[in-house]
Amino acid sequence: MRHPTTILATLLLASAPLAAAGGPVHVVYWEKWNGFEQQAAQAVIDKFNASQDRIHVDYYDATGQIDRKVIVVTAGGDPPDIAGLHEQNVAPFADAEALEPLDGFIRGEGITNEEWLSRYYPVYAKICTHGGHVYAGISTPAVMALYWNKTLFREAGLDPDRPPRTLAEFNDYSRRLTKRDPKTGRLLQVGFLPQDPGWWPWIFCEWFGGRLFDGKHITFATDPKNVEAYAWIQSFTKFYTLDGVKQLSSEFGPWASPAAPFFTGKIAMVFQGSFYENYIRQYKPGLDYGMGPWPENVPGIRDFAMAEADVLTIPRGARHPREAWEFIKYMNTANPNARTRDELEGAELLDFLQVKGSPLRVWSPYFTNHNPHSHIAMVRQLSSGPHVVFVPQIGIWQEYYREIIASFDKVRLMDATPEEALDYSQNRLEASWVRYRRSLERHGQWAALGEKPPQ
Amino acid sequence: MTRHERKQLRSGLGFTSLWIVGLGAFTAYPVLASLYYSFCDYSILKSPVWCGAENYNQLIHDGLFWKSLANTLFYAGLSVPLGTIVALGLAVLLNCDMRGKSLYRLLFFMPSIVPIVASSMLWLWIFNGQYGLMNGFLDLLLRPFGLHGPAWLADPEWSKPALVIMSLWGTGNAVVIYLAGLQGVPMELYEAAEIDGASGWQRFVHVALPSIAPVVAFNAIMALISAMQIFAQAYIMSEGANGNGNASDGNPARSTLFYTIYLFSTAFQDLRMGYASAMAYILFVITAALTWIGTRLSRGHYEDAV
Amino acid sequence: MKPRTRTGKAVATALLLLFSAAFVAPFVWLVSTSLKPIEQTLSLPISFIPKAYYAVLDGRRMEVTLDFQVTQPGAVVRILAGDDAGKLGYVSRKELAARPGGFQVIHDVDAGSWHVSQRFDHGPSERAPDPLWDVLPRRQIGSQVRFRWRNYPRALAALGGDSSSGPNRATFWTFLGNSLTVAILGVIGTVISNAIVAYGFSRLKWKGRDAFFALTLATMMVPFPVLMVPLYGIFKAFHMIGTLMPLWLPTWFGSAFNIFLMRQFFRTIPEELSEAARIDGCSEWRIFWRIIVPLSTPVLVVAALFHFIFAWNDFLAPLLYLTRKDTYTLAIALQSYQSQNGGVQWHYLMAASAVTILPVIVLFLFAQKSFIRGIATTGSKG
Repeated sequence: MRHPTTILATLLLASAPLAAAGGPVHVVYWEKWNGFEQQAAQAVIDKFNASQDRIHVDYYDATGQIDRKVIVVTAGGDPPDIAGLHEQNVAPFADAEALEPLDGFIRGEGITNEEWLSRYYPVYAKICTHGGHVYAGISTPAVMALYWNKTLFREAGLDPDRPPRTLAEFNDYSRRLTKRDPKTGRLLQVGFLPQDPGWWPWIFCEWFGGRLFDGKHITFATDPKNVEAYAWIQSFTKFYTLDGVKQLSSEFGPWASPAAPFFTGKIAMVFQGSFYENYIRQYKPGLDYGMGPWPENVPGIRDFAMAEADVLTIPRGARHPREAWEFIKYMNTANPNARTRDELEGAELLDFLQVKGSPLRVWSPYFTNHNPHSHIAMVRQLSSGPHVVFVPQIGIWQEYYREIIASFDKVRLMDATPEEALDYSQNRLEASWVRYRRSLERHGQWAALGEKPPQ
Repeated sequence: MTRHERKQLRSGLGFTSLWIVGLGAFTAYPVLASLYYSFCDYSILKSPVWCGAENYNQLIHDGLFWKSLANTLFYAGLSVPLGTIVALGLAVLLNCDMRGKSLYRLLFFMPSIVPIVASSMLWLWIFNGQYGLMNGFLDLLLRPFGLHGPAWLADPEWSKPALVIMSLWGTGNAVVIYLAGLQGVPMELYEAAEIDGASGWQRFVHVALPSIAPVVAFNAIMALISAMQIFAQAYIMSEGANGNGNASDGNPARSTLFYTIYLFSTAFQDLRMGYASAMAYILFVITAALTWIGTRLSRGHYEDAV
Repeated sequence: MKPRTRTGKAVATALLLLFSAAFVAPFVWLVSTSLKPIEQTLSLPISFIPKAYYAVLDGRRMEVTLDFQVTQPGAVVRILAGDDAGKLGYVSRKELAARPGGFQVIHDVDAGSWHVSQRFDHGPSERAPDPLWDVLPRRQIGSQVRFRWRNYPRALAALGGDSSSGPNRATFWTFLGNSLTVAILGVIGTVISNAIVAYGFSRLKWKGRDAFFALTLATMMVPFPVLMVPLYGIFKAFHMIGTLMPLWLPTWFGSAFNIFLMRQFFRTIPEELSEAARIDGCSEWRIFWRIIVPLSTPVLVVAALFHFIFAWNDFLAPLLYLTRKDTYTLAIALQSYQSQNGGVQWHYLMAASAVTILPVIVLFLFAQKSFIRGIATTGSKG
């Protein structure tokens, strides 16, 4: 057996019914949301709790760096039963032996991993797995898309209903949407600024057709497409000038506020998540905007997109893994025949309340037709394609991400050429990757290495 | 050992027994365990595996280790001397027998008791490039010249100076200490200097300063040691100013990646406890060296105390 | 040391006033921000004075928020064609001219007018929920100074997020309770344990005492990061991760700094007092409690105050050991205003900060004398 804890868990399970005799088993569920997302999750949990009398899920709000908190308590031996992590945590946490694989539970349902995963759109199925094991279920999905300000398009003489379709067009629009003060030359408005919001600079690499990791090697600087993407990022600073960007961005308010640059018309186009609509409603009601696909960058690929997801995992050492699985299963299932609001279940109920798409392939009639998201068809179209990318599954992602941000900052602030910045990060990451694999080897984690143990 | 001596030893050990446990469990054991871990490949979830000097070897070749050390030294090297000068200056002013002395003392002291999260958030707000108080004030001065205040925490070149300015706000502690020291200088010394025709500045340099020099040296060293461990304000403000959930990397552009921040993220995010322990030990050595220099500088004063 | 000349005195006074202003300005800023509505925390030019704005909308005078200023002349229109047909909007003159017949003009707008909307934080809006286009010239908007004390109770209510119900009920009072638990148990532990240990180091003579004391002093220079990882391991072994225990338990076993502080003080108490008691047959324990402790109130107060402030403000240790919101101390709970979806509710944050700072300042005002004396002695006898 791979994980000795699985045995332990099974033993604990045997005693669970005795403990449950006095009432339902309380499952501790940590999640990162504390706003309306929490209220939505609570509504689904209430429905789950009411649907049976064996399990009672308790939602704990662990806002702010939930990944660090989960790793700390898992190391401390007292983890929650369910941890609502981010998709980029799956590989590092699994390698660190901090997560319980769900394979056994899926087998217990009488199906294979593949059969279980076939319920999701391909990208979400991939997000849930690492090294051949399923480690997560999806709680809420998101997909990144192009948002543009139609009013600014009109002002620039562009058709507000026709977003740029190719990279060349995008670059052209971006220049045409840039406005300067005729007297002082100060930037008043820009078409696009790569650092807004700046959370996923690596997505530009993928959009250019580059890869960050080929399953064996770090390919940050060795893939010429990545260098090209970073050169493109730098071209914006070159065009606007560094001082121009600094001066303009000092006038930006926080992204989730009425003073956010896209809301105040200082930026005309952004790549944002499908959740952006919620923020537009809250902070800039009445904004005239459109949401559409990524412009074609690699010739022939017109359905590029990047997906993100909040995931549900069972940390190693959780007291009630079986009950936790029951809940994860509920959250990743829906009623395909729902025709009223009350008939929505699990994933669809959550995503309906959070104004999002569903990660499942099958959408019920009610969910499809009454979804409160005003661009729901676009969300569905973007999530379902074969060219949807997501964060690379690599154990040193935390470090990789820090390097991506650092090189992104260097490049956009003109501190280094794209080649220099990427080479620097590549060297660091290669060393880390060697060190990381050596550490897995030392601890005999051959599965995580994708290798067979030496004889 | 006589019976009496044994009895004395027993009661001595009895009174200090709590500390013996505390020292053992909360200092000695951690210090030794840390040393051991620094030679191990260790993530708290898996058992430690001995790997010799590998961590130290990697540290020497780790650019971020040097960067974080350089950032920290830059911060300490700027904040400690400036803080000392400001605190000393204020203490001297207060020592001029001013009216309302205790009110001033209270005002200067108050910032040093504000919780670090509150003060960090407050200064994060003050340093906001557009809406902040600092640039609101600076713009009054700069606008005639067509200049604008920097973006402070969002600008890699200004983020550390911003933290230094914030640290000056918290120097009230030292003001109180220096003021007490200055008040301990005998009046006769001043009077003698005055008879010799010394100016106010000369009296400060030749009478007041030498008398409190050991106190100043000692406090400066203590400040230096704590500046070397700067963590909370940088951690909170880096997250707040840049908001991409990447506080552990000293945003922007790693300009506020201080030693303890790098150590913290290595240990509790990457779970590289062994590497972090090696970093901690190097900090220990640096701190011990600084303390040694400090005690030598303030030798007379220190021996007096012990 | 006195300035001899009047100019000297004037210069010194001016400098002091200047520095006091610089030291106090952040506090004033904090309080003024805490009394503003959120959009005024993000407004230019910077103002210390919280205001309320009023305008007449739909024939009724109501409080409004100033949303943004229109930069070019244009008109509020009803859009007649395209996806947005039927919606209200604002278009510039140029746009209006470019698409004649595309819009039905409702009223013209001058450059510099303000888009306003009704403030309805007292209850639900009395007006239609559709995006309304109320664009008014500045002169039609009245204003008056108004402090929003309501921010305070709301800030405290918002501190717990939406978790103020349910099993992990965490409110301001939870955090306050946690902070007080950690601070008070820590203060008790600090005072009792260090006094006992310091007695052993100062009032008793025993073999190895001075060497042990030197070792004790040496531990003061061990940086916290060195201890961080193994300490975590210890608390893990005792299943204390995620509880408040790691934050106060160690104080019950002494700390080098406080031992040193109290030892210095105990040494100033005349030895004859102890000798007389010993002749009367008192045990050391009795001497400690009956003679030394009552005479040492000042140093005990100082140690207690120091620890209270340290525990109240501590950030790194709670960050390390506390993971569940209902165990947070106030100092780290404050951070939750920051991470809520990336936006910061500055007005609430400042209000809650003011509330967090208040107990420490009050404590300081009450114990100012012994506090200053304590700092002065520890600093100069260091």
